[in-house]
Amino acid sequence: MIYFAVFVVPLVAGIVAGYALREKWQANLNKATLPIIIALVFSLGFSIGIDNDALSSLPRVGWNALFIASLTIVFSIVLVELARRKVKLA
Amino acid sequence: MIRYILAALIVGVTTGYLVSCSGNAEAWSDVVNYVFNGSLLVLLFVMGLSFGLDREAMHKLRQTGLRILIVPFTVVLGSILAGLVGGLILRLDLTASMAVTAGYGWYTIDGPMVGQVFGAEWGAMGFAVNFVRELLTIVTVTLLVKISKYAPIASGGATTMDTTLPIITRYCGSDMLITAFSSGFTLSLLAPFSIIAMSTLGRFLVSFASL
Repeated sequence: MIYFAVFVVPLVAGIVAGYALREKWQANLNKATLPIIIALVFSLGFSIGIDNDALSSLPRVGWNALFIASLTIVFSIVLVELARRKVKLA
Repeated sequence: MIRYILAALIVGVTTGYLVSCSGNAEAWSDVVNYVFNGSLLVLLFVMGLSFGLDREAMHKLRQTGLRILIVPFTVVLGSILAGLVGGLILRLDLTASMAVTAGYGWYTIDGPMVGQVFGAEWGAMGFAVNFVRELLTIVTVTLLVKISKYAPIASGGATTMDTTLPIITRYCGSDMLITAFSSGFTLSLLAPFSIIAMSTLGRFLVSFASL
């Protein structure tokens, strides 16, 4: 549970700060986030690379894993698209 | 943009692999873990900030309300159904295959849990399927967003509350931040329970068949 709380706190703090500042400050923060995204993706890749269990699982289960992973993506997208049209989620 | 992301991913995996061979893996792993958590916390704050500054995003969320939860619950349905269909096509153990897809992309929990119930080979499958799901989401986000703004969120599953969140909000717009985060959050909460449910179903069927 602590794992989840740790993520909610900065997000809510950011939303509150943005809401409080929005009369005084307009900013496009997209550019500022790029270096942080790069750092995040690099460390994500690093933790995959260093984890021999995760990495060595790939050649063992190979194409079956790729096939099932692709199916989960396709089925999730199709069902979400159908459902959101049904409940008129824009 | 996506080129930099892919390059960072490839360099990251290669560096991680080389470090794991060097023998000093644990110390480096800790350092990178700090970088990961630190950059994630900063990103979440900055993304929250840009959401708070965006008047339309706030307005849209008020209009949507709880209907937002339709997204994670259909992802649950889609993922487990994919496990069933994939298992049927590949002639695998169906409950194991569904337990694998019930991780919704969270490979660090699905691999070990499935491995414990169904054995090491299925544990490897749990790792691989879920981490391929995360990788495919990052790699194909520019294509998926052409289908709709919800497609990358559906694809990312549980990972849309952390690892794929910045990339998704970057391509889908900051108004999708709360949808993506709440979907990933709900799926992360549901993943352990769904894996246990599928595993219990598997054990039940095995004991039923042996009667």
